[in-house]
Amino acid sequence: MEAPSDAALVAQVIAGDAEAFALLLRRYRDAHARFATRMLGNRDDADEALQSAFLRAFRSLAKCAEPERFGAWLYRIVINECRTLAARRARRERSLVRDAATLGTLAERDDPVGSDALREEIQHALDGLTPEYREAFVLKHVEELSYEEMAEVTGVGVSALKMRVKRACQRLQGLLEEAYHD
Amino acid sequence: MTDRPDPLSETPDERAFLERITPALRAPETLKSGFDDRVMEAVRAEAPIRYPGPRAPWWRRPRTVRLSPLAGLGLAAGFAGLVALGTLATAGRFGPAEERPVATAVDTVHLVRFAISAPDARRVALVGDFNGWAGGTELSASAVAGVWTITLPLPRGRHQYAFLIDGVRWVIDPTAVIVRDDFGTETSVVTVSGTGAS
Repeated sequence: MEAPSDAALVAQVIAGDAEAFALLLRRYRDAHARFATRMLGNRDDADEALQSAFLRAFRSLAKCAEPERFGAWLYRIVINECRTLAARRARRERSLVRDAATLGTLAERDDPVGSDALREEIQHALDGLTPEYREAFVLKHVEELSYEEMAEVTGVGVSALKMRVKRACQRLQGLLEEAYHD
Repeated sequence: MTDRPDPLSETPDERAFLERITPALRAPETLKSGFDDRVMEAVRAEAPIRYPGPRAPWWRRPRTVRLSPLAGLGLAAGFAGLVALGTLATAGRFGPAEERPVATAVDTVHLVRFAISAPDARRVALVGDFNGWAGGTELSASAVAGVWTITLPLPRGRHQYAFLIDGVRWVIDPTAVIVRDDFGTETSVVTVSGTGAS
């Protein structure tokens, strides 16, 4: 049996069938888990941001003007929730400083690409970017969105996004080099 | 003329760097166990949500006109007449008239426009806490076929109302906030503030 379309599920939820939302949740949860984790640096915050995003999406489903494009609409909500949580976290001045000694040890190891340790190290460097640069970099090089798609979900112009991605890439390179030379 | 390289395009060095780091960053992530259950639990706790209908066309949106206190005084007097009529018809049922909201001369009066699409109706009345739910305030057929409208001066505050079609059918305003009264009847709500109605 063919899976119901996003638009059909949105219509079902609006008509009062809250359980139909579970299908939308399952359809998009994993795709956004990676984005939120890369943006926020850890699974707990990603979990919190996504819970909040899905609940917000449920509450304002009627405002989804193009239900057949529910995915893009949800993306905008997820991005906003991540921005909000990151800002709140910055205000709390939660320390993201990791153990520098760990980084030093990693520099001496020849980890295969994709290992947890390497990912953690790159994530740490990613955390060192400004939220705007990190967001642009993750959407472009992790989520592999086109610049046009990025502009749609972020509300930022293509030129500004290109500039952010470029700067993010340079800064990330610098941060990782610093980590290796420490 | 030679094409200049795009300063924002990736350099070979950056490409090599990205090839090294992106596979690790693209690895899937999982959320904490029970994520779906937690979200759906919250969803069920909020359901059912009364989703508002699509944005109404311009001729159906409530409108307000702010008047000076002096102009409002005249309108308030007229409005007080309307309220008085409603009071005569329903005094026994709703209690003394002074308990109901009336426009006051000391405040700006806000004109609130009510509209509803009811193509098959022969007459449409506006009933609300501002006229004692008496049904004496009839809407006029507008220039748009099937659309009935009326503009009323309302004092600041929160007003509950509904439309009564052909004297028998109770219809809530699909463009407004909806509440349920003590008897379980749904009514629409308009809030008149210093900046307009919502």
